[in-house]
Amino acid sequence: MALLEIRNLHAKIQGVEILKGINLKIERGETHAIMGPNGSGKSTLAKVLAGDPSYEVTDGEVFFQDRNLLELSPEDRAREGVFLGFQYPVEIPGVSNTYFLKAALNAIRKYRGEQELDAMEFLQLIKERAKSVNLDESLLRRPVNEGFSGGEKKRNEIFQLAVLEPYLAILDETDSGLDIDALRTVAEGVNSLRNEERGFLVITHYQRLLNYIVPDEVHVLLRGRIVKTGGKELAEELEESGYALFEEAAA
Amino acid sequence: MEAIAEQKSVYLQDYEAHSAHQDAPEWLARLRQHGIECFEAQGFPGRKVEAWRKTDLTPVLREHFVPASGPGQMGPELLEKVGVLGQVHRLVFVDGWFDPGLSDVDKLPNGLTLAPLSEYGERLPAVIQEALGGFVDTETHPFTALNTAFFRDGAIMHVARGATVEQPVVVVHLLTPEADRRAVYPRTVLVAEEASQVTLIEQFVGADEPFALNCPVTEIVARQGANVDYYKVQEEGAGSAHLGAVHAETFRDATVHIHSLACGAKLARTDIYANLIGPGADVTLNGLYLTTGRQYCDHHTWVNHKAEHGTSRQVFKGVLQGRSETVFDGLVKVFERAQKIDAQQQNRNLLLGKLALAHSNPRLEIHADDVKCSHGSTVGKLDDEALFYLNTRGIGLDEAQGLLTFAFAAEMLKPIRLDRLYQYERQLLLQRLPGAELTGEVL
Repeated sequence: MALLEIRNLHAKIQGVEILKGINLKIERGETHAIMGPNGSGKSTLAKVLAGDPSYEVTDGEVFFQDRNLLELSPEDRAREGVFLGFQYPVEIPGVSNTYFLKAALNAIRKYRGEQELDAMEFLQLIKERAKSVNLDESLLRRPVNEGFSGGEKKRNEIFQLAVLEPYLAILDETDSGLDIDALRTVAEGVNSLRNEERGFLVITHYQRLLNYIVPDEVHVLLRGRIVKTGGKELAEELEESGYALFEEAAA
Repeated sequence: MEAIAEQKSVYLQDYEAHSAHQDAPEWLARLRQHGIECFEAQGFPGRKVEAWRKTDLTPVLREHFVPASGPGQMGPELLEKVGVLGQVHRLVFVDGWFDPGLSDVDKLPNGLTLAPLSEYGERLPAVIQEALGGFVDTETHPFTALNTAFFRDGAIMHVARGATVEQPVVVVHLLTPEADRRAVYPRTVLVAEEASQVTLIEQFVGADEPFALNCPVTEIVARQGANVDYYKVQEEGAGSAHLGAVHAETFRDATVHIHSLACGAKLARTDIYANLIGPGADVTLNGLYLTTGRQYCDHHTWVNHKAEHGTSRQVFKGVLQGRSETVFDGLVKVFERAQKIDAQQQNRNLLLGKLALAHSNPRLEIHADDVKCSHGSTVGKLDDEALFYLNTRGIGLDEAQGLLTFAFAAEMLKPIRLDRLYQYERQLLLQRLPGAELTGEVL
């Protein structure tokens, strides 16, 4: 049983078809990268998998650990173990990072029939996880993402990932807008969370990130279809020749 | 027209019957007479009066509210509201009648005078007499006029020059089920002399059953350099009408912070007048209104910059559920001499009910040429992207809505400088959130 299996996925937003038949299979413990130019459908794929209600799935199936993912609400997908790291994390003024995560973690644990963590256990957990992804502890008390720098927001996403411990983490252009130091920190955080149970789907525009998060497979997404799949060397190839090489294949 | 003419005569008749067997001191009789004359001259405001255009007074006009003739009986849920703010100096009025048993004026510090008006009789100090009815617009505000004609008691507060009152003063106004079809006219006067400091909280609490008309008038006079924090908490019962006015006269370099939380009553309106009459006066008006069902809640504000170097800040936020309707209408008026003033005004509304309706009307009228003024207003729903973000973290839609609503509204509780009051208002907010109940640990 694959961790994630996408079969012939079609999706549209406001009547425009963005995904035109995606096929993809991720096994436990694998890290896959999706690369593609702007407008190819990368972020759409991420949001459709997480259940963004603004997109409409018109065809195809998605199975997550044998559950029909498309039948689940966004919150239930999260509770089943799907995590989406946002390209533009949302600011929530007035709600502290700590409270937000506690609500999230306990909702997930409750769904799974696990005991909710008490305040002490929870505090211990988030302190430890903040340390593991190099997040400044002062950010825990601040409102979610409010006034965070770009790097802090992305690191906060990785921190949430570390606390929520999903089975599949989808990272949507987590590298965008980061300088090389911030990128390295984020990549280190991700690498520390890789294990044989957890899968990653890393969406990126640039090969650079993949120097730090080395994928098992790379997929090239063009105009809503995966046009090529290969090993990590495919990313380097793309970096040199650009997407033009694949344009014909997509056409 | 006939109906309105009849309304007038009913209240005038009440007044005449009332004053005939009342043994009021001469100054008070004169003030009341002025009140009824002003009311008679205006009548109840019709929809053609600009300031009352949106306020549907029909339910109030249909009824004849006789002044409550005595304090009613209270259930435990009303009684327990009396002590919620902990150790304070306290006056309690039940259906407009002073309740010495529930009040607490035992340990008043030097510099603070706090007593019900009824204890003064003929001997009302000149500074209070001057403030009582001295600054409010009895001539143009019909409910202030009505209050002036009918108030039977009041909370009188005086803070001596240079005195700092550490404990807050709380005035609790309780409406019992027996106030049904009765009118209550609370009157509160606070005079803060030069360089004094005081915090006043007025709590308006009521049972759900009565259809009562509550017309409070609060007069605040902040003399030079005085610091006054005033909080109004209006959580009256679901059936009542609350039509109140707050007036703050702010002298040179005085600071007045006004904070209003309104979540009760079926028909509620608070008119806030802030006059910045001395240079360097500083006024803050903050408000939060939480409505549901078919509640109507209205805040009208008039901030008058009459002197230079003044500062005024206003932020009002509303959370509307169900088919409720709200109004924020605020005028900042900058008079010709009032140069170098800085005035800001914001109103933000969150519509949670599809049929809820928020009116927002921030207004500026500027007659000076070297001033900083800004205003803005928004009416919107919860942000879909933020909701989705919370959902992707496993937080269900109900809880996500509650969380985001809390975050929106809680900003208005931050300026509260008393922890007990902050916690109390926070609890009121948590109880009124949509969706699932939050645990109260937010932030």
